[in-house]
Amino acid sequence: MQTGDKPRLVIVGNGMATGRFLDDVHKRAPGQFSITVIGDEPEGSYNRIMLSPVLAGETSASDIIGKPAHWYREQGIEFLGGVRIARIDRQAQCVVTSTGKSYRYDHLVLAVGSRPARIPAKNQDVDNIYAFRTLQDVDRIMASAHSALECDKSADTDALVIGGGLLGLEAAYGLALNGLRVMLLHRSGWLLNRQLDPAAALLLQQVMESKNIHFILSDEVVCFTGTDQVEGAQLKSGKSLSCKLAVIATGITPNVELGLEAGLVGKRGIEVDACMATSDPHISAIGECTEFEGATFGLVEPIWQHCAVLSDRLCFAKTTRFVNSPVPTKLKVSGVQLFSAGDFITTDAHRELLYEDAANGVYRKILLKDNRIVGVVLFGDTRDGPDYFAMLQDQRDVSDIAPFLLMGRAFYAAAPNQPVAA
Amino acid sequence: MTSTAHIITTDSTIAPSATVNTTCCYCGVGCGVSAEVKDNRVVAVKGNQEHPANLGRLCVKGSSLHETQASPDRLLTPMLHGKPADWDAALGFAAEKFQDIIAEHGPDSVAFYLSGQLLTEDYYIANKLMKGFIGTANIDTNSRLCMASAVVAHKRAFGSDAVPGCYEDLEQTDVLILVGSNTAYAHPVVYQRIARAKELRPEMQIVVLDPRRTATCEIADVHLPIKPGSDAFFFNGLLQYLQQHNHVDHAYVAAHCNGFDETLAAASQQVPTPTAAADFCEVNPKDVERVYRLFAEHDKVVTVFSQGVNQSSSGVDKGNALINCHLATGKIGKPGATPFSITGQPNAMGGREVGGLANQLAAHMGYDNPESIERVERFWQAPNMARREGLKAVDMFDAIHDGKIKAVWVMATNPAVTMPDAGKVREALKKCDLVVVSDCIGNTDTAKLADVVLPASTWSEKHGTVTNSERCISLQQGFLQPPGEALHDWQIIARFAATLGFAKHFNYRHPVEIFREHAALSALDNTDSAALRGFNIAALANISEQDYQNLSPIQWPVTADAPKGTKRLFADGQFFTADRRARLVPVTARLPEKAALPNQVIMNTGRIRDQWHTMSRTGTAAKLLGHVDEPYIDVHPDDIARFGLCAGDLAVLKNRGSVYYGRVKPTESQRVGEVFVPMHWNGKYASSSCADALVNPIVDPLCGQPEFKHSPVMIKPFRQAWNGFLICADDISPDCEYWAKITLDDGYKFRVADGKRLPSWRDWAHSQFLAITDWVTVEDSDHQFFRTAGFINGKLAVVFSAATDKKSAPEMRWLEQQLGQTIDAAGRFAILAGIPGAGVEDEGTIVCSCFQVGENTIRKSISNGCGSVEALGEAIKCGTNCGSCIPELKAMLR
Repeated sequence: MQTGDKPRLVIVGNGMATGRFLDDVHKRAPGQFSITVIGDEPEGSYNRIMLSPVLAGETSASDIIGKPAHWYREQGIEFLGGVRIARIDRQAQCVVTSTGKSYRYDHLVLAVGSRPARIPAKNQDVDNIYAFRTLQDVDRIMASAHSALECDKSADTDALVIGGGLLGLEAAYGLALNGLRVMLLHRSGWLLNRQLDPAAALLLQQVMESKNIHFILSDEVVCFTGTDQVEGAQLKSGKSLSCKLAVIATGITPNVELGLEAGLVGKRGIEVDACMATSDPHISAIGECTEFEGATFGLVEPIWQHCAVLSDRLCFAKTTRFVNSPVPTKLKVSGVQLFSAGDFITTDAHRELLYEDAANGVYRKILLKDNRIVGVVLFGDTRDGPDYFAMLQDQRDVSDIAPFLLMGRAFYAAAPNQPVAA
Repeated sequence: MTSTAHIITTDSTIAPSATVNTTCCYCGVGCGVSAEVKDNRVVAVKGNQEHPANLGRLCVKGSSLHETQASPDRLLTPMLHGKPADWDAALGFAAEKFQDIIAEHGPDSVAFYLSGQLLTEDYYIANKLMKGFIGTANIDTNSRLCMASAVVAHKRAFGSDAVPGCYEDLEQTDVLILVGSNTAYAHPVVYQRIARAKELRPEMQIVVLDPRRTATCEIADVHLPIKPGSDAFFFNGLLQYLQQHNHVDHAYVAAHCNGFDETLAAASQQVPTPTAAADFCEVNPKDVERVYRLFAEHDKVVTVFSQGVNQSSSGVDKGNALINCHLATGKIGKPGATPFSITGQPNAMGGREVGGLANQLAAHMGYDNPESIERVERFWQAPNMARREGLKAVDMFDAIHDGKIKAVWVMATNPAVTMPDAGKVREALKKCDLVVVSDCIGNTDTAKLADVVLPASTWSEKHGTVTNSERCISLQQGFLQPPGEALHDWQIIARFAATLGFAKHFNYRHPVEIFREHAALSALDNTDSAALRGFNIAALANISEQDYQNLSPIQWPVTADAPKGTKRLFADGQFFTADRRARLVPVTARLPEKAALPNQVIMNTGRIRDQWHTMSRTGTAAKLLGHVDEPYIDVHPDDIARFGLCAGDLAVLKNRGSVYYGRVKPTESQRVGEVFVPMHWNGKYASSSCADALVNPIVDPLCGQPEFKHSPVMIKPFRQAWNGFLICADDISPDCEYWAKITLDDGYKFRVADGKRLPSWRDWAHSQFLAITDWVTVEDSDHQFFRTAGFINGKLAVVFSAATDKKSAPEMRWLEQQLGQTIDAAGRFAILAGIPGAGVEDEGTIVCSCFQVGENTIRKSISNGCGSVEALGEAIKCGTNCGSCIPELKAMLR
């Protein structure tokens, strides 16, 4: 550290984690660091979660950019957009760009995020097969979608979406809203199989079907067809179908290469401790590129916690410990209310409380162990999700309110302690 | 076929909108009612200010008369073997069977079982047909269960079944002793009159003798919780005390009574001191002496007695023991001084007047005098005069069970529920060759066992006279058309008589013709001073139809000497015995026949405030089920501990192979070792909570009245595997061990429980309502609770809540009110929670039925500063209409 000068903080990556982290640092110690942000996307930090509404046409790209270029200037932050860091020189405490330019750091924060996971299908490199990760992906998909709409309707479907997780469903929904016929292909037997039980998933599927999205479950793409542009897909089941474009949204892979190649410890992600420190004391990591106690991250809540933990440490030298608690899942598809947290598949070890209203498509499941909530699946009416989630986190004994629990706070809070004998 | 079939009793049709003065059809008080009629419906009722019985007051049952009109169970056509039939077919079948059975087995092989619900005219011709034309005295009535003891006690003491006093005496007296009479519940308007009198003259002393501390005790200065059945010991002790302390009116006794010495000897030998009386009665000797002193030192003493005295194996003796004390002191026939038997039913007295009991003949004549039989035979021109007494109720149903009686016609009553050992009565009816039932309701427990069910008219349709407890004859007006093919009871009997070939003698065109005949018979040869009959309405024998239609309430005797009726009898010390002297009857008091075994308790039965008899009419008004909605068992806390019961849980009582399920209500108003159960519930309202089925068929040897107030029974907790409630639009019989039905404004609520676990509550609920496909359900894999609601076209049709432990969903009235409502998805959470969500208060148990004010609201008003019944009435209206809830309001205020 140079005397009389501010410590140099370099942040690689400019996704949501960086945006949040900058705010956190600014709140704690404005001007304490000399900050440089280097990102390979040209835009400032934007809200990636809002990509599906952008795709759906429910909001515009400019609306989701939280930190445009001038924001960095105003904050006295050096912002390098569209710049790719090729390696870290830990010895020299600097990062080197793909064009060979190096930036020295006193402390380096890796927030390099993740990239779409690949699927093992053959012939993935033809045109009109997209990921669903960046604003650029959204631009391309939309352009492709508009031309698909202009084509004849001879194909089985306009868009084939691969992946029945949150991202795939959101992509499918966005495409359907653009007027495309959408077929969603999912490897598991039910949608959101990492968040929902089959019953709730079936309700979800019914709602999505009503939005003109069709489903093939328990199947995968073996091979895409088409020479220049995608024309269809051969499936493992032997089925084949034709399409105009395909979106692969089967999950994410943390970007570990930059860190691991520099010799940082890590496997699926760059390993961090509870203070977000990597194996190098001058380097920290936050966001989707990290691995903590074997877990990686794809939802926003724990990542916000990463940012707070790290900024506490860097600004105040204060030790706030990251705790990886369960995070509820929500789906950003209008007309679909879905909430899932903790355990979602009932086993013999659970006491299952179940609310079913088939006529209204309302489904609620609460799983208890030892009278404490360990899992929640809500579909159709998720108003009480946060309350259940709070009880799950507090490990509150709910035996006294169990009969009223599924109906929500308005009822379990109002329920007489000793319901009259019936 | 006679021409009586299609006569409507009212000649002038009622204007579309009118107010009609009539009487209430429920208890023996016989209140006058002003009914507001619109478009052939009663839209409102209020107490008739002019009627001497109530002077404008009405109790909750009376004020609900219009709400029990449109019963879904109303019978509209004759039913023959469960299928609708026309009158000719149904009556033809019944008549042919009667004739065949009589031809083969003689007239004593048939029977009529009547009711204090019938009007005097109905009663009169039923009695005439049976005793004069069919030729048997096998005609008894549910009055046998009610006041047969009082009838015989009156006859023994006065030579006539006559209540000496009137209701005014109860207000004018200085000492009012209520014996075995929960007036507050059973005769609410009389109770209100007493309470008002007490308020105006707080020095008036009120004594209650009752094993239970009933609601009536709220206004009592002394309550003696005597050992059940020990009443006669108390009055024997009183007689001895009066003698010992020189309070016997020897002049009166010498001038007007016989039997004093023997009676005193019997009494003093058995109960020589107040302490001995206290020992027999198991009460505090000081209290006994206090009451004895009150009786002795006041001229104006009224002793009111009711079922607690009558329903006993020694009811007649008990009645005489208390009458003895009045005779010995001359406290009879004077304002504010009389023994006073208060009857249960609106026309129990009318039945007694026409002789509608197996051991009476007609018009206060009996089988003890051949001249009487001959006189009645002559008057009726009877071809087949019955010449000896018939079988009384218990013996009658035994004879049916034994096959000696092969045809029975039950009118306007429900013996399958109300008779002692009712299980055996059901068996008897099942075995009987021919059972005919005439009733306004087609599915009573008795009607379900009948071959022929005939639709009868009911209150507001039927037209004729009734006599209340103070000998007051009033006209019950028929002002509505009976629905469907329903006929009046007198028309049905007349048609039946015609079918049997007696048309000539039953050719009545209007009830006034029957009434005139009845009045004429009462006057016939009723001038010979050695054989005077108390019942005499000679002055009404030629009443015009118009005067009959406008009959003002009048107390019999109504004679040339007393054309305006007679308020009090025996003022002149003249009685209806041959020597015109009253009889003191030596009584050796006896306790009830069966004592409790160590594992038994004594079951007492009685009425609750808002129900009438077997609920066939009152059970259909939601308002009347708000106060008490489920069969219960009042148990002393010591017994709760002794038998391992739990307050609020179900317990079972067992006797004679029958089981009574009821919810345990802990109360110190019960004596240890004794329980109280309401008598009203039956197969229409509960799976198995018919109290009378557990009553032993033990009767008073003199009058045949059963001992309803004292049955040793087993008591055990009901070990339930699950319990819950079911609210639905349709009337069903839930498939489970215990259920009790509660009528709601727009549907029904059932409390349900079972000793066995169900494999699936969901399947069970669905199987009860196969037509419903739209269900919302909350299920617990631990099987601790379950809730579901079913919808038809989005409207709530069923709610079912169950739990394995005591906790099911709360039972809020709010939930009941949602039935039939369209409920959106969010609203369904509330339905399954059973509560409207935060911020809505519930009424709680309804205390004031008239204004539907619940316990929670009342308690809140009390805590907000309402310190009196008046203040509560001002604030939230409770207690300001019928006043039946005032005892409870007072209890809550304490």
